[in-house]
Amino acid sequence: MRNPLATLSADDRVLLRKRLRTPVLTFLALLALLAVNVTLGATLPFAQVWIVELLVVAVMVALILLVSMEVIHEPPLIRLFSGLGFFWVAIMVGMTLTDYLAR
Amino acid sequence: MSASGSIGGTARREPHTPESTIGRKPDYLHAESTLRSWFLATDHKRIAILYLASITGFFVIGALAAGVVRLALIVPDGAIMTNDTYNKAFTIHGVVMVWFFLIPSIPATFGNFLIPLMIGAKDLAFPKLNLTSWYVFMTGALFTLVSVVLGGVDTGWTFYAPLSTAFSNTWVLPALIGVTIVGFSSILTGLNFVVTIHTMRAPGMTWFKLPIFVWTHYATSLIFLLATPVITTALILLIAERAFHIGVFDPAYGGDPVLFQHLFWFYSHPAVYIMVLPGMGVISEIVPAFAQKKLFGYRFVAYASIGLASVTFFVWGHHMFVNGQSDLASLVFSALSFAVAVPSAVKVYNWTATIHKGSLRLDTPMLYAMGYIGLFVLGGLTGLYLATLAINQHIHATYFVVAHFHYIMVGGTVLAFLGGLHFWWPKFTGRMYSEPWGRVSALLIFLGFNVTFFPQFILGYLGMPRRYATYPAEFQLLNVLSSAGATILAAGYIFPMLYLVYSLWFGRKAPANPWNAKGLEWETSSPPPTHNFLSPPEVPRIPYDYPIQAQESRDQHG
Amino acid sequence: MSEGLADGVGVARAEHFESVAQQREAATLGIWAWLITELLLFSALFLVALITRIQHPEATIAAAKHLKFWIGATNTVVLICSSLTMSMAIEFSRMGWQRAMVRAMLATAALGGLFLVLKGYEYYADWDEHMMPFLSHRPFALAETPAARLFVNLYYVATLLHALHLFTGIALLLAMTWMAAKAGFLSRHQNWIEVYGLYWHFIDLVWILAFPILYVVNR
Repeated sequence: MRNPLATLSADDRVLLRKRLRTPVLTFLALLALLAVNVTLGATLPFAQVWIVELLVVAVMVALILLVSMEVIHEPPLIRLFSGLGFFWVAIMVGMTLTDYLAR
Repeated sequence: MSASGSIGGTARREPHTPESTIGRKPDYLHAESTLRSWFLATDHKRIAILYLASITGFFVIGALAAGVVRLALIVPDGAIMTNDTYNKAFTIHGVVMVWFFLIPSIPATFGNFLIPLMIGAKDLAFPKLNLTSWYVFMTGALFTLVSVVLGGVDTGWTFYAPLSTAFSNTWVLPALIGVTIVGFSSILTGLNFVVTIHTMRAPGMTWFKLPIFVWTHYATSLIFLLATPVITTALILLIAERAFHIGVFDPAYGGDPVLFQHLFWFYSHPAVYIMVLPGMGVISEIVPAFAQKKLFGYRFVAYASIGLASVTFFVWGHHMFVNGQSDLASLVFSALSFAVAVPSAVKVYNWTATIHKGSLRLDTPMLYAMGYIGLFVLGGLTGLYLATLAINQHIHATYFVVAHFHYIMVGGTVLAFLGGLHFWWPKFTGRMYSEPWGRVSALLIFLGFNVTFFPQFILGYLGMPRRYATYPAEFQLLNVLSSAGATILAAGYIFPMLYLVYSLWFGRKAPANPWNAKGLEWETSSPPPTHNFLSPPEVPRIPYDYPIQAQESRDQHG
Repeated sequence: MSEGLADGVGVARAEHFESVAQQREAATLGIWAWLITELLLFSALFLVALITRIQHPEATIAAAKHLKFWIGATNTVVLICSSLTMSMAIEFSRMGWQRAMVRAMLATAALGGLFLVLKGYEYYADWDEHMMPFLSHRPFALAETPAARLFVNLYYVATLLHALHLFTGIALLLAMTWMAAKAGFLSRHQNWIEVYGLYWHFIDLVWILAFPILYVVNR
């Protein structure tokens, strides 16, 4: 088990590139998606832009869950738990809206 | 070292010491005896005992407050105490009984003690978290008790805005903070159970070999996780509203008090099943043991537990039919509420089918279980009245509601709690309680309960509203009857406290399996050793492998 | 997620578990169960924001336009950076590069701290612009639309609750970094880094939701 900090061998660099590839790509994707949302929020190009903004947010959330939090590599039980909360949020919001959207 | 009989160190009558207990390793009660070993315990069994002692204390406080309420209602004109005192008494009763007794009652004590035993594990997955949950619970309790000592709260246990935020001049803030904190102890307990049941089962202990007690606690724990955070947020907003007038629940700024009720009941309706499901688990263990018969329709009872825990999240609006929510919402919530009856009925039918042609023994736990079934049916069916939109208009916020939920909470949960306490008392303490006294008390409680609460159905139907200190004189007879019933009920509660405590020192030594019951908790000694099993337990071929088996069950598992 | 561990990296079994695999599974499931509660905790606040928007659209838009959009956006960038450093810390822990891992954890805590500093500056600017309606002695900039205080106050509840989570997270992270810098940590407690990383990512995720819900969609 090596413990390098400043002096990296060629093997270390290969390993580092392999291991950090996914986190760095995720990072860049998240920044790009955020840039889209910030641009939309600052310019407000049309009235229903919030729909696009929420879709972009949904992609960002999915990216963090699946890739950063590695749900995609987890066994089915963890995948179930990672989605369970969102499903229950949908119940809470949906049933409450039966009141507020019908008043 | 004496492994047994040194609890009090006085009585040394040991006529029944079984061979197997001589020279065995110390059990969890005697492993260590310092105060430190109790208050820093990580053994799930010791933490269960800590919880048992605490919630018994809260039960006494809540019961005394109920006594004050029933005392006040003996006379119609409110002459016995001021209206303020009355409001505070019923609030203390509700807050303490709901948040500090009913919700933690069975899960935090029996669940804590029994789940690892039943699944053949050494402990819960996170023992330190388990201890933390007790300290969190006691911290929340401290805040709430402070509010009571300072002068009490008069909002009712529901803390509805804007009464709690803008109008009440009582100690609402510490009570709110206490209830918020206690929610975290529920969350930690539920989290521990979910993880334990998923990951800690003994080899061979598949899901469909688990006792129903474990299934119902799994369902309860899911509710703890999915519902409790929402009431935490609702209470945080309520605290902010009272302290800083943030406005979200205040009509003066355009806020919406009904929104608080939505958030409140998103938790508090499922919380009914936090209180009921564990009791159903207890009954599902007691009934087969005292009928010596395999539980009828095991899989249906298991699925019904998960079904109840899910359906219960879709029905909260039936608490809000008269508060101005939209007609569409009332219609949807009313229709879905009827769905709750299906899994509930599945359970009741399966218990009665288990009793049918069983070899019945009417010992104390079974008396409680049979009382439970009867009272739960009455409580459940009257719930359907309340779920019906038109009838709800007539009986909303009357004593009909009070009677209905006491049939569920007391007739259900408290009877299951007492039944379970007697059933597993030998396992918890290693001692047998007095059977004659147990039976007398069980009958007293059943009688006292019905005399107390059945008149309230009639009172409510005749139109007596809840939460008032005064009432028209023509309701006095039924109110006096109800208060008289409460004294019988009180006697029924006091007896077990006396003879159970007595049994700790003078009770007969309990064998490992006094009821000839099935389940891994009966395979180990009474009380169990620190890590539960001296040798890894053998998982049975089928759950509830009792001598008498219905044709149905043999086919299903053959 | 335990695949790809370097030699000498792992978890020491606690007494009440039967195997290391069981212990790791329990820890992962436990943190996910906790994260479910976090999601519902914040979602209830987001639901209140939605209802406020439905009931008072003009006042909510006026309130949202007064929030510091660019500070919120910058803070989102900060947290996305901290997610990257946290992911790096997890990868280094798996590779057994302990010193690099400790640096990555310190960078994560520093970025979390930067977020709180920016948030504090934002609160100060809000105060300066009379955007603190919950202060009874200080006039509210949008007093002519009373319902605006609902959304603004909700913004404080939500961001303070998130900041509390971040503050707790930084404290835990620093305590864990102190332990993780010691010899032998990675052979005994490698999964602590993974479990903690899930918490950190999720607090980022909550902000990824909070930023558009509070700052963007109501503009």
